[in-house]
Amino acid sequence: MLARSRIRPGFSLVFWREVDWLRRRPLLLAFITIVPMGLMALLTLIFSAGLATRLPIAVLDLDSSDLSRSIIRMVDATPDTAVSVRVGELAEGRGMILSGKVHGLLMLPRNLERDVFAGRRPEVVFFYNTQTLTIGNLTLRGVSAAVPTAAAGIRLSLRTAQGEPVDEAQADLSPIPVQIHALFNPTLNYVFFLLAAILPSVLQIVMVTASAYSVGIDVETRHRLRILRRLGGGLWPAIAGKVLPYTIVFLMVLDLSDSVLFGILELPLQGRGWLLDIAGLFFILSCQFLGVLLALLLKPTASAISIGTLLTSPAFGFMGIGFPRLGMNAFAYGFGAILPGTWYLTARIDQTIRGTPLDLSWKPILVLLAFVVGLAGLVALRLEVMRARAAREAAGTPPTLKEALS
Amino acid sequence: MKNVLTVFRNEFRRIFALRPVFSVLVVGSAFYAVFYPQPYLNEALRNVPIAIVDGDGTSASRELARRVDATSDIAVTMVLPDIVSAEREVFARKIFGILAIPKNFERDLLHGRASPIALYADASYFLLYQRVAGGVAAVAQTLGAEIETARLIGIGVDPALASAAPDPMQLTAVPLFNPEGGYATYVLPGAFILILHQILLIAVGLLGTLPGADPSEHTTDDPPPGPFATIVGKMLAYLLVEAIILPIYLIALPYLYGLPRLGGVIPILVLAVPFVLSISGLGLVVAAIFKSPLSVQLVLAAIGLPFFYLAGFAWPTEVIPPAVHLASLLVPSTSAIDGFTRLAQLGAPLADVRGEFLMLWGLTIFYGGIAWILEVRRRQPDRRNARGAGLLEVSFRSDV
Repeated sequence: MLARSRIRPGFSLVFWREVDWLRRRPLLLAFITIVPMGLMALLTLIFSAGLATRLPIAVLDLDSSDLSRSIIRMVDATPDTAVSVRVGELAEGRGMILSGKVHGLLMLPRNLERDVFAGRRPEVVFFYNTQTLTIGNLTLRGVSAAVPTAAAGIRLSLRTAQGEPVDEAQADLSPIPVQIHALFNPTLNYVFFLLAAILPSVLQIVMVTASAYSVGIDVETRHRLRILRRLGGGLWPAIAGKVLPYTIVFLMVLDLSDSVLFGILELPLQGRGWLLDIAGLFFILSCQFLGVLLALLLKPTASAISIGTLLTSPAFGFMGIGFPRLGMNAFAYGFGAILPGTWYLTARIDQTIRGTPLDLSWKPILVLLAFVVGLAGLVALRLEVMRARAAREAAGTPPTLKEALS
Repeated sequence: MKNVLTVFRNEFRRIFALRPVFSVLVVGSAFYAVFYPQPYLNEALRNVPIAIVDGDGTSASRELARRVDATSDIAVTMVLPDIVSAEREVFARKIFGILAIPKNFERDLLHGRASPIALYADASYFLLYQRVAGGVAAVAQTLGAEIETARLIGIGVDPALASAAPDPMQLTAVPLFNPEGGYATYVLPGAFILILHQILLIAVGLLGTLPGADPSEHTTDDPPPGPFATIVGKMLAYLLVEAIILPIYLIALPYLYGLPRLGGVIPILVLAVPFVLSISGLGLVVAAIFKSPLSVQLVLAAIGLPFFYLAGFAWPTEVIPPAVHLASLLVPSTSAIDGFTRLAQLGAPLADVRGEFLMLWGLTIFYGGIAWILEVRRRQPDRRNARGAGLLEVSFRSDV
């Protein structure tokens, strides 16, 4: 047996004890490493195309003229849409949309060419499925780029027929052209947009629930918290030793996925890498302390995990990646503000695609720091309360009336 | 048959008797029904703030700015002297676009030249970019058409013909099924399916791992219910619970949130039967693999989000690699999200979701079969402590 004096209490004792504990639980270890990495790999595969191109649409050509054929060619030639099928009547096209085979139906009316040249302004109708909002909008983008291009040729001939010089007529076609610059994301790549945001969301769930689990086990077992504190030789070394092994694992997961994103998939890293790392560290710590706090407040551990899941798994919507927070109601805006992920993603967007100047970068990072300090403080406070209560009971102080009755 | 009924009754009772199961299935369902839709309830983005950098300062440039501000998409909240200062405001997320009107904007228009304007739109948020770019482009086009008509009349074109000239072939875009382009209408029908899917999966996983999962513990019948009766009885119990929860999610909630629904109730319920049964089968398999309620909770909590992107709902199936898509069909949510949205939101006839319907029945038989095999093996006494079965149990046990 080891002499008592040879075991030196302190941070490293608790740290290595936790590492050992984690090593003997392959499933938990897999949950905090392989599960998020595997999900990341899956999502990378799903979005591997980067841009959604050549989305199938149907065409109903009732005119069969040179004009209608050239419109169809142009629609097929845009990057967004592909004419995958010709239908004979409207009902058939509708059926194709309902069965999910196409995302839209372009209808070219009878006598289109004749009416255009007679100045009767015939209507070209595009029916598109906006139930799938993004996809529907992409098909519309393709069609609404192609049809005016076809119309431009006609407009030009109308002017030259009036004796206007070609170059002047050309300028006339679009008196106020808009040069649109997509700031920060010139290719409008979907991968930048979603992939970079989904992993932190998944990781947020994993970090909160895994921390609740690992601490919950200690809370549920009698005397374990006291032993832990004694092993750590104080409150803070014990907390640090308990939390840090996971922090290191999560940092590795985050860094590994980031090196895939920036290194292999070549996502832009316009900002400062070190700021991104600081934000990542604060994000991880605040999620961990949130999980720890839940485990200290809620018993049994299953409840702590349930509440953690309940708070974090719908978080993606509240963090404003799909639908921006700007458009949310007050409740959703407020709830988004108390999620660490919201601020981490803000900092992440700042430091990856936006390249925000340093002086404007600090707000989300300071908010995350405030979360870390606040949550760690609450954890310490809760532990002190629990300890005081245990000490009171151990000292044999008569319990208060309320405690005695419960 | 009697055995099936015994298992069924017992399992149904456990759903309400076991606190963790009850809180996931009933409390969780109620919570998500209220909580989840919150971010999307405003449906559309309105009045996205942008800044104007007016280098011209003429009545024409002010007219343009006024019209941009008048759209429902955009609000001009700042007028700034130069692009550099405007860019800082974009970085600070005060504005999401900069409309730059160059010097001589009005003069060029009056001279009959093209008079370009520049829009810098924040593309780090996709939806904001779409709003700003779409709004400004529409205003510029309308204003341009007016100018063009005036010019044509000026060079002697007949006014009737001149007003047709800017747009000789009108493109009328008809959005179907979600005419407002609302975000809630887009996300919620699919999300509700996924919530039902995840909640039932966790609940079945918990029921299979919490004490009392073995029906022989509850009955004095001799012999106790066999493996087949156990699986069927349990699945029927889950079907009965979902007979209450699912209609609330797929019929009552869309109605309360004002989501359009074109499909009838009956087809939805017809598709719901294999949906619920296939998840039940998958849940029983998950329970047999993970063996501890905590691990079921942990693992299933994290994996819900990616399922959404596999369903061809937010990201088109056509561009998902075929192998990934095929593999994703093993998860009931993939077929279910696609099938239910087409039935309910698009009003497709049941025949159009034949593929999804058969796929869900196929998964029911597949997972039910695996669950049955695992149940048979579990009951063989000599295998009880077999290495393979014990490994995961040990690895996730709750104490040292």
